[in-house]
Amino acid sequence: MFLTRSEYDRGVNTFSPEGRLFQVEYAIEAIKLGSTTVGIRTPEGVVLGVEKRVQSPLLESSSIEKIMEIDAHLGCAMSGLTADARTMIDHARVTAQNHAFTYDERIKVESVTQAVCDLALRFGESVHDEDAMMSRPFGVALLIAGIDELGPQLYHTDPSGTFVRYDAKAIGSGSEAAQSELQDKWHKQITLQEAQILTLRVLKQVMEEKLDQHNVQLAQVTPTKGFEILDETRLQEVIEAM
Amino acid sequence: MPSIEQPQQRQFNPYSENGGTILAIAGADFSVIAGDTRQSEGYSIQTRYAPKVFRLTDRAVLAVNGFAADGNMFVKKVRQRLEWYRHAHAKDMPLRAIARLIQTMLYARRFFPFYVYNILGGIEEDGTGAVYSFDPVGSYEREACRAAGAAQSLVQPFLDNQIYFKNQLPAPGTSHPAHLPLSTVLSLVIDSFTSATERHIEVGDGLEIYIVFSKGSTSLQGLASVRGLQEVTTTDDGERVFVIRRELKKD
Amino acid sequence: MNSFAERFSTTTAASHMRNAQKLAEEDDEFDGTMWGSSAGFGSIAKGVPSFTVPAVADPTAFLRLHTDDHADPSCRIKIQHGTTTLAFRFQGGVIVAVDSRATAGSYIASGTVKKVIEINPYLLGTMAGGAADCQYWETYLGMHCRLHELRNRERISVSAASKYLSNLVYSYKGMGLSMGTMICGWDKTGPAVFYVDSDGTRLKGDLFSVGSGSTFAYGVLDQGYRWDLTDEEAQELGRRSIYAAGHRDAFSGNSCNLYHVKEDGWKFIGNYDISKLHYDGPGNVPGSDGRPYGYDIRVEGLSSTNAPEVAAAA
Repeated sequence: MFLTRSEYDRGVNTFSPEGRLFQVEYAIEAIKLGSTTVGIRTPEGVVLGVEKRVQSPLLESSSIEKIMEIDAHLGCAMSGLTADARTMIDHARVTAQNHAFTYDERIKVESVTQAVCDLALRFGESVHDEDAMMSRPFGVALLIAGIDELGPQLYHTDPSGTFVRYDAKAIGSGSEAAQSELQDKWHKQITLQEAQILTLRVLKQVMEEKLDQHNVQLAQVTPTKGFEILDETRLQEVIEAM
Repeated sequence: MPSIEQPQQRQFNPYSENGGTILAIAGADFSVIAGDTRQSEGYSIQTRYAPKVFRLTDRAVLAVNGFAADGNMFVKKVRQRLEWYRHAHAKDMPLRAIARLIQTMLYARRFFPFYVYNILGGIEEDGTGAVYSFDPVGSYEREACRAAGAAQSLVQPFLDNQIYFKNQLPAPGTSHPAHLPLSTVLSLVIDSFTSATERHIEVGDGLEIYIVFSKGSTSLQGLASVRGLQEVTTTDDGERVFVIRRELKKD
Repeated sequence: MNSFAERFSTTTAASHMRNAQKLAEEDDEFDGTMWGSSAGFGSIAKGVPSFTVPAVADPTAFLRLHTDDHADPSCRIKIQHGTTTLAFRFQGGVIVAVDSRATAGSYIASGTVKKVIEINPYLLGTMAGGAADCQYWETYLGMHCRLHELRNRERISVSAASKYLSNLVYSYKGMGLSMGTMICGWDKTGPAVFYVDSDGTRLKGDLFSVGSGSTFAYGVLDQGYRWDLTDEEAQELGRRSIYAAGHRDAFSGNSCNLYHVKEDGWKFIGNYDISKLHYDGPGNVPGSDGRPYGYDIRVEGLSSTNAPEVAAAA
């Protein structure tokens, strides 16, 4: 299969005769190597969960950061080349703050997602004096969770700069099994606590190690408290409730 | 014969002053924004009908006063930004967002100011009537009422007295109302402008009063008896905008 | 004919140059970023604000000519000016007190100005000088404090925030900005007050007052200041100092806004009408004996017009 692509998978901005951008497709493949990440939208808020792969007992698991705050009402979980996500999340943060500064209001979840996706497509050669951009597509997918006047929302973005809204979405290595599990279990009236437990159940299914409070991370965005990462004691409670 | 060189000085003077006065008053669930329509330069009247009050959206009306060219250009640019916002965020910009936007737009010209005094009136997200006033470089504040322009110093003290009840004691056992009914506000606006026309040479000709009502405002009933009324609402979202056009003395 | 064709053609090298030039000229206001998801943040589309400057040899002289400063109240564009502000540090936190009058020449443009700018829940800035300069840059500072917090997972120190502001205004030095502000808050080091102005001065200190009424405020403030003031005494001192400035400085007055910064952030204590303070006192508030601030009442029976009984008898 690589032989047939060899002519057209070098340049990031070269379409193949079939109309494909292979570098972008390869970037999407990179996400399938990433750790599993789950997001669930409920009427009470949005839950994000990630698996932390603790490759060594000497590794300090709290230093793995796969869920980040964009603003008080916006959170983000990632899968893939997490280093690439830093650029995107910083862009999201700056966009959210610029919006708050210019309009004295919180940015909408869709708008901040759109901003991140605009950045995703800015690879290749730079146009006049714009900032130096990436020379390749980002190798990361994001689940952006947030609350605005349209209620709790969950968006998925990928390296092609496409974004779609989901009720529940799994990305990363275990995403196929996880997604079908989510499809079975998600329902319109799911509560926040049910969503927390479902997130952990789904992660547990696809994880190789035994799930505990050190190798998963949960976060949520709620109307009252905004974005928060659940600390180990609260995480422990959810694990026990599971 | 030797020519004598004279020192020459040139100056960039892009500003003029076109007179007129604007005024806005916030009610509980409505907002009134008014301006006269005379435009003058020095002692000459350029036109008797140059609007200074503009509908931005169905819940925001902007009044501009000072240098007319700057004012008209500024309104044009605000409208452009509102349209871009609508495309990007799929909604009309809320009033407080427009207020902040105007600050950033005015301040972007901090070193080459728009010679414009702005008053923004309309309905907030919570349905209350609001007035925001600005200085030419963007400092702003939400208030209950504000007059600006040539007759500011004639009109504002009158409003302070009639709306904030400054230097008035309430009758024993009563208190001053926090918000005035529409009929009272309209009378105050009309009286303000007829009085300003009497005593200020740059005010007169015509009066345009915009009224913005919140969704389901009960104050709407008070409009039935008003003459010269025209509705300028463009959507059926709930907020409604009306304009009253009146004549002022033309001498 | 050839040159005519070239002028209107869209394919020649000259036309490319022309288009590039046109693009470059329009770039400052109509930029590609205005259309995308950033939805036109306007002058901060690129993350930092950019300003339109008149195309004259000396833009600063242009600005000085057309906008008013205190030296020339006759010119056209009257920028609002702020007046008495004070802040001091004591055992119980930081007290911030300001008046609320804005003047344009001798006209009182507003009596309800908010001269305390709530940068975020634990940082306050005060406004003296150009109202817009203070409002805009302190809001802008608030945005950067929030970004600092997101990027570093901890709150910015008052020292760092004030230095950010001072570096920022210093980069516009000589362009005509006018602001004298106190950045007040509570961080790991405890209560902190920094004075920052548009000349680029940045001072750490216990006690500052800024504005035309500052001398009057200092008089009362210096007299009553101690580190170990109680919260109530400190609030009363802030109120009294602003009252004194409102009473003696024509450019200050209307009302006093009082804030108290403690470990868990700032709290708005109250708004006090300065005339009411004079005749009736601040009312039943902690730290006050409830008596009017005006000395007519205090010296009742002791002044020359109303001499004490003993003196009259003598």
